[in-house]
Amino acid sequence: MKMSDKTTFRVFTGLVLLIIAAAIFAPLITSFDPYATNMKDALMEPGGNHIFGTDKLGRDCFARILYGARVSLSMTMVIVVLMTAIGTAIGIVAGYCGGRVDMVLMRISDLMLAFPGVVLAIAIAGIMGGSAINTILALTVVGWTKYARLARSLTMKIRDRDFVAAAVTNGTRPIQVLYRHILPNIILTIIVTAAMDIGTMIMEIAGLSFLGFGAQPPTPEWGLMLNEGRQVIQTAPWVMLYPGLAILIVVAIFNTWGDCLRDIMDPRGNN
Amino acid sequence: MFTFTKAKKAMAAALATGMLASFVTGCGGGGDKKADDKKAASGQAEKFKFGVTNFADSLEPTDNYFGWVVMRYGLGECLFKFDEKMVVQPWVADKWSVSEDKLTWTIHIRDNVTFSNGKKCDAEAVKKSIERVFAKSKRAGTFFAYTKMEAKGQDLMITTKEPMPNLNGALSDPLWLIVDVTSDKAAGGDRDFSKQGPICTGPYKVKSFVKEKAVMESNDTYWGGKPPYKVVEIPSIDDPNTRAMALQSGEIDAAVNIAAGDMTLFRGKDKFRVSELASLRTVITRLNQREGRILNDKRVREALVSSLDRETYNKVLLKGTFIAGKAPVPPSLDYGFDQLKDPNAYNVERAKKLLAEAGWKDTNGDGILDKDGKPLQLTIVTYNSRAELPLYSEAIQADAKKVGIDIKINTVDYNLVDRMGINGEFDLMISNNITAPTGDPEIYLNWYWRTNVDGNNPQNGTGYSNPAYDELMAKLAVEFDKGKRREMMIKAQQIILDDCASIFMGYPQTNMVSSSKIANADIKPADYYWLTPEIKPAK
Repeated sequence: MKMSDKTTFRVFTGLVLLIIAAAIFAPLITSFDPYATNMKDALMEPGGNHIFGTDKLGRDCFARILYGARVSLSMTMVIVVLMTAIGTAIGIVAGYCGGRVDMVLMRISDLMLAFPGVVLAIAIAGIMGGSAINTILALTVVGWTKYARLARSLTMKIRDRDFVAAAVTNGTRPIQVLYRHILPNIILTIIVTAAMDIGTMIMEIAGLSFLGFGAQPPTPEWGLMLNEGRQVIQTAPWVMLYPGLAILIVVAIFNTWGDCLRDIMDPRGNN
Repeated sequence: MFTFTKAKKAMAAALATGMLASFVTGCGGGGDKKADDKKAASGQAEKFKFGVTNFADSLEPTDNYFGWVVMRYGLGECLFKFDEKMVVQPWVADKWSVSEDKLTWTIHIRDNVTFSNGKKCDAEAVKKSIERVFAKSKRAGTFFAYTKMEAKGQDLMITTKEPMPNLNGALSDPLWLIVDVTSDKAAGGDRDFSKQGPICTGPYKVKSFVKEKAVMESNDTYWGGKPPYKVVEIPSIDDPNTRAMALQSGEIDAAVNIAAGDMTLFRGKDKFRVSELASLRTVITRLNQREGRILNDKRVREALVSSLDRETYNKVLLKGTFIAGKAPVPPSLDYGFDQLKDPNAYNVERAKKLLAEAGWKDTNGDGILDKDGKPLQLTIVTYNSRAELPLYSEAIQADAKKVGIDIKINTVDYNLVDRMGINGEFDLMISNNITAPTGDPEIYLNWYWRTNVDGNNPQNGTGYSNPAYDELMAKLAVEFDKGKRREMMIKAQQIILDDCASIFMGYPQTNMVSSSKIANADIKPADYYWLTPEIKPAK
């Protein structure tokens, strides 16, 4: 069992690295510029020079999907890092301090949780106007609460342990206690959770862009491309098909990778 | 005449029965038979479902352009209407004459016209309706002004200060559709025009209305005979692709404005009937050239226009369903399209040269030109309900980028477009406009390009002003001679082109596609005649 877990993890880590490499080395893989329009070649079928065909302005779909990986992945990374950092910080403070601080912070988080996440994100992105930065903000604002709750409960579990008490008795400043003693003991679980969120975030970014609240034209973003393809779904289905497949494959790989990561990190699995 | 009507009625009855038979086959039972007889007796088909795009959240005809919707939905009618050649024909009025001095028009209202509440529509009612428009709409004054209006029985006499050669054309605009003023809540009636719809003279009346869906029902007292349908459901399906799919799946019986790319799904198919024609519309990109705006510099405007390959947009991107744009008035109207010269035809080198002359250089190497530390960045305002507009916008964005102009696209709700246009809240604003609301392009040429002094010509929100143009339009306003009017309007268009006042993107084909079970679902050149009493079940 253990072997097989590790093997799957290795395979999927390889696939994840492959996706990241494809994004980074996009210019080496395709010679087309994802922004370059050639309107005389609009909506060409896949084949020949354009293996995924061209879109409504004659841009190469394959290039746009490759470069789209850059957009999606970098936005996802920023969001995941931001919400993990913010959520963990708030959660640790709440869990460690307890009392009023805990109550205030957790009520704020309850407030955020009371909203349906995607709807709130749409509202935020809608009010501020569609752009990549606003999408990041909107999804971060919605997403941090989960990490805050997680970090809080993990912190509460260990804050009364002897090594923490020892540190406090030795006169360690609270900030140092949180940073040196609490954080290292909970970070693994947080990272595993974050890894499993990557796929979800890719979906949500694409979702917001699809609705017009995320990345704006002419950015090659998968959700946006999906929406552009929707208008010609019956006459030029490839414009919608390939971004859809890209989202499907990438999300599936990241999700499975996250699961594997959890499996090999899970202490119960190690026993 | 009597026997003819009778025969027609019998035919319609047979038709309705036949249609119904296909539905009730297999159901059996006496109840169905009874229902069957009832249909036959009334001579009306049950329901027609019509997919449209609706921008109006109110049916008050004097607000915004909502009168269009009131007319499109078969509710409101004007004194006159345009035929297929945009020649004025009688509608609620049946005759008219102009006095010797050309100042007084005598318009005779049809004797048998009643409002849908049964009230007779006489000259007095029409007069009140016209007065109401003047009281409520700022746009009214841009059509005509009168010094005296008198009602005598069915005769309405309108006297103008200056000769008004095209008064009947002006009165054909949906703004002037006839409403029963006494039924308006504001005038002591019991009806909220904006929510319940006005009381008018058309074949259908409002059963319920929200922006997303209107339900109309037959106006049984309609002066033109009993309408063919008991109920007409009009859902607003703003997304062009969804509209096409709704029609394919049979969710709706007919739809307007199927997108260029989707027309291949319907043309030549037995299940569908396509009605297409070169419309009287122009897709215009207004250029905000007010003081302080980047486009105030004529060279930048010329460079921008020269950078756009409009030929390709229309031929390739829109698959030839649009004719490439050049002049304000489309070639479907005979106002000198071929003889007009566009000094800013596609020429990328010229565009680059002009921008350099205007002092724009790319100093930081980011591909976008700049001047005094400011990037050459413009915003284009567009809306989604017409499929070609976002496409044009993105094409403009792509082509302008090639000469170093950065264009941001701002997609807004259609309802904001009119206001933003008036207030000049844009650099570029693309919209699909009708060019002959009164039968010829005079009023259109006035609206967008005559100098706007303190809001007296609100549609010109771009700040464009040319005294020579204003003078020409003033002369045109009092000219009766058709040939001279045409010459003047050609000259006016050339001024607009020479000044590079706006970009004329293209001229759309317009269409209405219906199930082949529906007859006469025809699109008209003036596109406010949508739900007409001629639309009926096919044999």
